[in-house]
Amino acid sequence: MSVGLTAERRELAGSVRGFVSKNVPMSAVRKLLEDGEGFDRETWRQMAAQLGLQGIAVPEIYGGAGYGYAELAVVLEELGRALVPSPFFGTVALALPALLASEDEGALKEFAPGLAGGDLIGTLAWVEDDGNWNGGSRTAARQAGGGWRLDGHKSYVIDARAADVLLVTAEAPNGPSVFAVDARAEGLERKALPTFDLTRRLGRIELHDTPARLVGEDGAGDQILSATLDRAAVLLAAEMVGGAQACLDMSVEYAKVREQFGRPIGSFQAIKHKCAEVLVELEGARAAAHYAAWSADENPSELPLVACVAKAVASDAFFHAAAENSQIHGGIGATWEHDAHLYLKRAKTSSILLGDPTFHRLRIADRLQIESGKRP
Amino acid sequence: MNAVATEPNAPVELTDAQRAFQLEVREWLAANKPADLQGVSQARRQPADAAAALEAWTKKLHEAGYMCVAWPKEYGGRGLSGVEVALLNEEFHRAGALRITRGMGEWLVGPSIIAHGTEEQKAHFLPRIIDGTDKYCQGFSEPDAGSDLASLRTKGVVQGDEVVVNGQKVWTSGYWDANLLFCLCRTDDAAPKHKGISYVLIPVKDNGIEFRAIKQATGFGGFAETFITDAKAPLFNVIGGLNNGWKVAMTTLGNERGGNATTQYVQFADELWRLVADAKRLGKLDDPHVREQLAWAYCNVEVMRQSGFHLLNALATGQDPGPGGAGSVNKIRWSEYQRRLGEIALDILGPEALVTGEDYKLAPWQSTFLMARTGTIWGGTAEIQRNIIAERVLGLPKEESK
Repeated sequence: MSVGLTAERRELAGSVRGFVSKNVPMSAVRKLLEDGEGFDRETWRQMAAQLGLQGIAVPEIYGGAGYGYAELAVVLEELGRALVPSPFFGTVALALPALLASEDEGALKEFAPGLAGGDLIGTLAWVEDDGNWNGGSRTAARQAGGGWRLDGHKSYVIDARAADVLLVTAEAPNGPSVFAVDARAEGLERKALPTFDLTRRLGRIELHDTPARLVGEDGAGDQILSATLDRAAVLLAAEMVGGAQACLDMSVEYAKVREQFGRPIGSFQAIKHKCAEVLVELEGARAAAHYAAWSADENPSELPLVACVAKAVASDAFFHAAAENSQIHGGIGATWEHDAHLYLKRAKTSSILLGDPTFHRLRIADRLQIESGKRP
Repeated sequence: MNAVATEPNAPVELTDAQRAFQLEVREWLAANKPADLQGVSQARRQPADAAAALEAWTKKLHEAGYMCVAWPKEYGGRGLSGVEVALLNEEFHRAGALRITRGMGEWLVGPSIIAHGTEEQKAHFLPRIIDGTDKYCQGFSEPDAGSDLASLRTKGVVQGDEVVVNGQKVWTSGYWDANLLFCLCRTDDAAPKHKGISYVLIPVKDNGIEFRAIKQATGFGGFAETFITDAKAPLFNVIGGLNNGWKVAMTTLGNERGGNATTQYVQFADELWRLVADAKRLGKLDDPHVREQLAWAYCNVEVMRQSGFHLLNALATGQDPGPGGAGSVNKIRWSEYQRRLGEIALDILGPEALVTGEDYKLAPWQSTFLMARTGTIWGGTAEIQRNIIAERVLGLPKEESK
C-alpha cells in the first residue's frame, strides 16, 4: 500500500468525522469535561459497533479488521481534530500494540478480541513518579505459586481509571517484563489525577502484592515497550495533526469574519503570515505522521527513526497552531467559554506525553549514532 | 535512509507504464553514463578537461532526447509528466549521473513560449533552446521593482517592426554566457500596472546591453545589474502579444509539477551529513545542544523527503496533493531551513567561523550561511510566499494595494 490518503482512507476519514460530529460534538465534549469518568460509554460502544474503530489495525484472527497503522492514523487524526474524550488512545495506541509486540498467543487470544471489539478498555502503565518516558524501574515482579505478583506504582497512566486491563511494566528476575493486571485484582489501587487537559484522563496506580499475568517472555519488556512506544508516538502524532488542523481552521474562519479598523483581520499581513506559517508546519507534520504510519505497516526497520521525527514535528506544529489560534482570537480566545484553551491544553500536554520534542530529537541523535560523525 | 520511490516497500504506487519508463532510463544510463564526470557540476567555471567532458555528456543527452523532457513532444520535448520527471531524476541520482538542463530557457522561457507563443515563434525559438543555441538570462527585477514586480519602469517603444527598450534591470543571473535577455518592459504607460507590460526576448550582442557584475556579500559575483540603452528587438520577439507580458511571465508548465519531489531532499541530506562530519572533527558531537540541533535539521530534511513521497504518490495515483503540495509551502520550508542550518553551522564552527582564508576566501559554511540568506528572497520572498498561501490556499481576503 502507498503512503498517505488513498480513496479508501479518505472514505474512512469521512465516516469517522460524520460519526464524531453526530455523537461527540463540542457541546458533548464540554459536558464530559465535568464528568467523573470523562468519556461516554455509549459512544465507546458505538465506535466499535457501527465503525469497528477499536479493531481496525488488529489482525482478523484476533477479532480485528486487519487493516494497518495508516488507517488507524486516519482515525486518530479525526478524533484529535474534535478532541473526542475517550479511552481510545490507551486501548488502541498502547494496550493493543503492546500485546501484538509481545507475540504472546495466549495473551492475544485472551485480551485482543475484547479490546478490538470495544468490550474491554486497556492501557499501558510504564511511567513512574519520576516521569521518565523511557519507563520506570521501581516496580518489581516476583513469581509466587505458579503466578506472578507485582509491587510498586505507576503514574501518568493514560486512561488508568477506565481500563479493564492494565499492561504494566515491572522488573522480573530476567529483566524488565510486561504483565497484564485485571482492574479488579486485589492489591490494585487506582487514583484519578487532576489533569491540566480535561479531555484526556490520567491516573496513578499502586500495586501491593497484586496478581498479574506475564505477557511475552520474562525479560522481553524493553523490546515490547520500545516497539509499542514507537507506534504510540506515531498515533499521537496523527492525533496532534488533527488538532492542529482544527486550530488552523478556527483561526482562518475567525480571521475572515472578525473586523477591526473597518476590515477583516485576516486581510492584515500579521494575521495572514501567522496562518501561513501554521499551514507550512501542519503540512510537514501531516507528511511525517502519514509516512511514519506507512512505515509501521510496510517498512518497520525505518520506524524507530521516523516515529521520533513524527512525534517531534507534530508536537511543535500542534502547539504553534494552538498558540497562534489563541492569539488570533484575542480576548475571547482566553475565556473558558471559547474552545481555544481546550486545544491549547491538549497541544501542550500531548507534546509532553511520550516525550517532548527535545526528548525525541535527542533520541534521533542516539538512534542515528550521530557521534560516529558518519551517515548510517 | 535514502529510499527512493523505486526501492522495495516503496511508499509510491507506480503504474506498469511508469515502471517501464523507469527501467528504460536506468538501462540507458547504465550503457551511456560517462565515467569522467565524477564531482563535476554545471557550474560557471570549469577546468578544461571537465568542460570538455561536460560538453560531450550534454551532447549525448541531447541526442538521446534527455533535454527539455517535460515539454510536449510536438515541440521537441518528451511530454513527460511530473511523476516521470521525478523517476528520471531518481535514476540519474541513483546512477550518480549529472542531469543537465537548459536552465532558464528550459524552465522559464520555453514554457512561456509554449503557452503563449505563435506557431512561428515556437518553431523558431524552441529548437534553439533544446539544442543549446540560445541561452537566456532574466531581466525581470529592477532597482525599484522587487516583490512588487509589476511596478517595473523599463520602457519599450514600438518603432516600425521593432521594440526599442530603455531601462535598468538587476539580479540578472546567467548573464555571462547568455545571448538573449528575456525582459519585461512597460509598453503602455496609460494601462493599469499589470496590463501595460510586454515580454520581449532581446538579443544581447552589440545591442546596447551592458552587464555590470554585482559583488555579493560572499565577495563573489553571480548576478549583474543590466543597463539597457536603445536595445532593439523585432516584434517577432514579443511573446504573447504586446501588453500581455504579465500573464506570459507568470506561466509555468503545469505538467512539470513534482519533478523534483523525491530528489530535492538529497542535496540537503548531503549538506547535513557534511556538517555532522565537521562537528565530529571539532569534537562537538557529545554536546547535547549540538546533538539536538543536528537532529532538528535531520527532522527537517526528513519532512522534505517524506513530503516528496506524498506529492509524488498523489500525482501518480491522480489524487489532489492538498495544500502540502503547494509550491510556496515547499519554498518556505527549504529556504528557511537552510538559512537556519547556516546559522547552526557557524555556531558549531565557533571561533573557526571568525576567520577566512587569504583574499577573503570563505570556508564552505561561511558561504552557505551567506548564500542561504538569499534563498528567502529570490523567486518570491518568504513574505510574498506567505501572502500567496494565506490568500490562495487559505482564502484570506486580499489587502488593497496601489
